[in-house]
Amino acid sequence: MKLCEFIRPASLAQARAALRKLGPKGMPLAGGTALHFMPGKAPVSAVDITGLGLSYIRQKGAFFEIGAATPLSDIQRHRGPRWAMHEICRRISTHQIRNVSTIGGNIARVFPWADLPVVLLAMNARLVIYSGKMKEMGADEYFSSQPARLFRGGDLLAAVKIPVLKAHHGFGSVKAARNAAAFSMVTIAALLELKDGKIADARVAAGSAIPFPKRLPSVEAALIGKEPSAEVFRAAAALAGADAKWCKQEGMSAEYVANLAEVSIVDALERAAEFARGRTA
Amino acid sequence: MKTNTCSVSLSINGEKKTFATRPDEKLLDLLRREGYKGTKYGCGQGTCGACTVIMDGRAVYACLLYAMQAEGRKVRTIESMGTYDKPAPIQQELVAAGAVQCGYCIPGIIMSATALMEAEKDISDETAKEYMDGNLCRCTGYEKIWVALRRTIDRAAAEPKKKASAKGGKK
Repeated sequence: MKLCEFIRPASLAQARAALRKLGPKGMPLAGGTALHFMPGKAPVSAVDITGLGLSYIRQKGAFFEIGAATPLSDIQRHRGPRWAMHEICRRISTHQIRNVSTIGGNIARVFPWADLPVVLLAMNARLVIYSGKMKEMGADEYFSSQPARLFRGGDLLAAVKIPVLKAHHGFGSVKAARNAAAFSMVTIAALLELKDGKIADARVAAGSAIPFPKRLPSVEAALIGKEPSAEVFRAAAALAGADAKWCKQEGMSAEYVANLAEVSIVDALERAAEFARGRTA
Repeated sequence: MKTNTCSVSLSINGEKKTFATRPDEKLLDLLRREGYKGTKYGCGQGTCGACTVIMDGRAVYACLLYAMQAEGRKVRTIESMGTYDKPAPIQQELVAAGAVQCGYCIPGIIMSATALMEAEKDISDETAKEYMDGNLCRCTGYEKIWVALRRTIDRAAAEPKKKASAKGGKK
């Protein structure tokens, strides 16, 4: 994408005003890595949001709040009580990209291979959007379709809120890729809540092998009320085909991708169960 | 739409500089046209690592940054490292290990290794590999680069101990 102007607003309000005025000719820029690959012959004006204090990670009550312009490497290196976000951030692209690419840039416009939307869906994250004032929405609503729809009027993603996992909660994520820095073939994330040795609640999400990241309700329903065992996980994973139509990829049939997804679901659930039983992150 | 000209002020290898640029000029292009040609153009799409520089202490791809994003930042290029006559420890070890063949990837490898050694203490193999995962080499198969890096890390780790024991000896 060609840039014809580089604007540095002094506040979120100024950034929003600039983007409202520019309309489709304006583009917020944080890490900016994706802009180099975005199609479009018409030059756009970049509105740099990196100087607006949106790079931070802090615990506020029951949530970790991550500023939208926080680089992935900061999330990867952060540690907190029952913090689980580093696991997936470590697996995204390369060290140099993680130093620049931001959480907001990864989820403001969802690319098919994106890992973070999958994790945030499973985590039941909340998204904070600046539209003159701050408003929040849940991940299910935010990722119900391309989030770029929410920012057409100049509104901006300001922060991501991740629930602090409780003692009986466990989270696991799996990214299947050809090599360490490659795009994902399948990404799975699972959040389990255990009570009296059984699964009281489950959120399982998938991405990359399907056109858009989504939760797997049939898998989730098959887990609730059961014991967190390999047999239960395998039986639940076998139902994933009811929720997602796995797409063939280069060198891989749709059947192979479906098998890969099922194995990855079982792995993610086992990691989540292990976490819930007391594994330190 | 007409592309505006603009200027960017940054520190390069400790020197404050201001350059005329365009909003869509990449940091890599600016560096190379201003004479910092040790920073290489490889893939131009953030994969190979030949263009790696250090910005505010972090290794970044200069090909995936607009020059304007470097405003007010401290950028270090391979030119800030050792010279032919006085190579930096990582450069010495790369040569000693026979890790330099065509040499095109080496400036980026050195900058990533430098970012690693300046940011981390007690560097495990896992951490080192994590910092080096964005640099490709198509000549050496990585083993010799890895040997050179590990030797440099171990050498740096031994240095403070040597200094400390030397100080202790004077007392």
